[in-house]
Amino acid sequence: MARPKTVRAPTTASLPNNLLIPSSTPSLTKSLGKLSRQALLDLAFTWLDDRNIASYPPYLQADEADGPDDDEALPYPAGETIEEVRQVYEDLQDRKGAKREVLERILEGDWRHGITLRQLAMADLRYMDDHPASLRWTALELSRIDANRSTSKKLPPADWSGSVPRMQAATFVQGLQREISPLVKAHYHLAHSATLPLTFLRIFVVDSPYQSPRQAAEIFTDSSRVIYVAFPDSCPYVYTSIAASTGSKSAPLTSSVATDTRTLQRLVRDSIPKALSRPQERFTLQATSLAAKNLPTLLALRGPGRSTASNGAFSIFADAAIEGSPLDPRPSNTVPPEEHIQASHSNPAEGKENTNGSATKRRSSGIDTDPLSPDSKKRRLAIHSRFGTLGQSLAPAPLDRLDIRLLDKLESSEESNDDVDHSTSTLPAVSLTFSGSDVIGGIRKLAELGIVDPERMPSWMTGEEGVSVTTVRRGQRLQRDI
Amino acid sequence: MATTTSRVPASPDSEEEELDMEIASMRAESKHPRHPTQNLNPTPKLTQTNNSNRPPHNNLPLVHAAGAHTTSNHHRIAFGATAFPFKDPSPTAPTTPLLGVRIDVCARNGRFAKPYYILLQSEQRAPSPSLGSAKVLKVYRHTVPGFISIAKLENVYLPQAGVSHDTGDGNTEGASSAEDEAQPAKPWKSSSRVRKQDLRGFVRELRRELVAWHMRVDAVEFLREKLGLVGEGGGSLPFDVSPDRDTGIASLEGVSLETRYVRVEWIDGRVGRFKLSNAGVVERAVVIGDEGRDKKIEDAMTGGDGRVETVLDRLRVDVLSGSPRP
Repeated sequence: MARPKTVRAPTTASLPNNLLIPSSTPSLTKSLGKLSRQALLDLAFTWLDDRNIASYPPYLQADEADGPDDDEALPYPAGETIEEVRQVYEDLQDRKGAKREVLERILEGDWRHGITLRQLAMADLRYMDDHPASLRWTALELSRIDANRSTSKKLPPADWSGSVPRMQAATFVQGLQREISPLVKAHYHLAHSATLPLTFLRIFVVDSPYQSPRQAAEIFTDSSRVIYVAFPDSCPYVYTSIAASTGSKSAPLTSSVATDTRTLQRLVRDSIPKALSRPQERFTLQATSLAAKNLPTLLALRGPGRSTASNGAFSIFADAAIEGSPLDPRPSNTVPPEEHIQASHSNPAEGKENTNGSATKRRSSGIDTDPLSPDSKKRRLAIHSRFGTLGQSLAPAPLDRLDIRLLDKLESSEESNDDVDHSTSTLPAVSLTFSGSDVIGGIRKLAELGIVDPERMPSWMTGEEGVSVTTVRRGQRLQRDI
Repeated sequence: MATTTSRVPASPDSEEEELDMEIASMRAESKHPRHPTQNLNPTPKLTQTNNSNRPPHNNLPLVHAAGAHTTSNHHRIAFGATAFPFKDPSPTAPTTPLLGVRIDVCARNGRFAKPYYILLQSEQRAPSPSLGSAKVLKVYRHTVPGFISIAKLENVYLPQAGVSHDTGDGNTEGASSAEDEAQPAKPWKSSSRVRKQDLRGFVRELRRELVAWHMRVDAVEFLREKLGLVGEGGGSLPFDVSPDRDTGIASLEGVSLETRYVRVEWIDGRVGRFKLSNAGVVERAVVIGDEGRDKKIEDAMTGGDGRVETVLDRLRVDVLSGSPRP
């Protein structure tokens, strides 16, 4: 391989969008191969779009003329014009076939000179749209630091919505770049999700100061070097794909050289609130004890919608399942709750939520109309009252993992509740971990089967708190996790 | 004369109500067998101030229920905010029922949006010398969208006297700012300067904010309809619709859910954004074209009476070119 003629000097610029990854890289085939045939075709059409053609030019015959013609043996002849290349993919779209065919066409045909970093980022985000449960996400809350607020004794002005920082994508990425560029080299890709009300930021980090890193091309497809940050619309939360639970803590990690990917990720995460901040308006990230694999879950529990602060027994309010519109003359107990839930599609908040197709995932758990014994009827009513509309709701929120730490003393029976001095004595903490595809739904099933007593179980079993990690004492969630 | 007075009831209101009740009860009776009552258990009893003098001879339970329902609907329509008690079914919850507040907002199409609920927990506090009454309200659960900060509202209208911020998630910010506010005051005064809780003010401000949001969304929808950007079914048309001839606007949409900002695109590539105030006035506008800011259009947007409903009239090409503003 010929040595590049340019002088390699360390810079603080970000990795360029058009940095080419050789198409022959085996891991590139693998990471693009995760996508479905239709997704690959859609991507190819996007790349060949008039607005993008300058960024991702395909390999044409004109290129063949300048370049060294060592690729005679390749199976796909280069197209003459963009139109011709487009036509190829139109044809592929029309006929059925294997995914392999499209993938090879892309890698060995039209983009044989390499896939740019940005194209790879687009492919990854497309995969995320298709598989919203492919990563584990942690929800964090953005909160303002009012360090030295001016002495405003009067009521604040009537702006009750100021806690959401206004984000301008380009400015934010610039700020982020300013924060992390002395430490890591990164490539950024920002895009709005096609299916969810989210803005994704994909950050790829390398620990090289050079513009074109010398590492093997494999590094560009290393998923552990990619950090996703998702910004849900209109709410003060941020989701990250970083697993570590404590981010802003200044851990004594300064001695180790920032080479391992976890350190790089931590650096990036710490700089997100700083990049969002402005003079006189600084933000910090706080943990919200929620991590889940499913993005719709996060949107339901820490999102802009109605269900953020009312779950479990209170989900009847979030879905407005018990009462209808004031114009409805029918008494509310004569109308089935499903009708209430579906009623007002005119609501602007609900309109967006419906688009994610989650309504189709509704389960009709426990509402079968066969005659029941009075005992099981009573149980069913209790289950309805405890779990609310879980399972019928428009925004289902399956938790895949629920960690509970119980801090009750073993000998403290329910009578001796007055004794408050639990804090200092050594407690036999019991930790419970539930995991599965839908933990709360599973507990509901158990209650339906009569294994769990629906009337006496504590409220964390109904998912009322909307958390995935919590500490519980006497059935109540302790707010400050010990 | 005497016969007429005997037939007409005491007030026209009650007559009307009786008719309403009859209609409602008939409806209820006709609906009842079709829909088995599979409603959810903790139906909050709606105990509005029921001052209607219901006819005593009517003791059919269905009629009774329908009448109560009609009355509560009247209250919901007229006042927009109604209260109800709600018992938390959790066995570890305190025995005092939660105070529920239901807020109804009427949207532009004459329908009501899904009601918003706030459930407040009332806590019995040890009577302190500074705070006479011992009952303190605290927001427990709510269904208000995330961009309206309940924590801020609560901090102003339902202050927690001398409580460390143990409400967790959203409230740490509110509590810290309360401390900051207390600091500049004189220390001997700060203990007595505890504001009283104002539930009315809380609900009023919250409702105002919710209504303003619905109005903003409706205003943008109205503008889109005027531009012909809304399809038959209410959904947005694909991108390549013919732009509005009068204004040359190719697209107009609210930015994110909150619809505080509206993004406008012109056919010639200019891009603009304006900010809507709660009162429906275009507060600020920025329009950027190929050769920098387009001050003329910005002025036209914020000029005049500033109303968002008439912004398209001010942006019409013939208006802009015909009479340039001084």
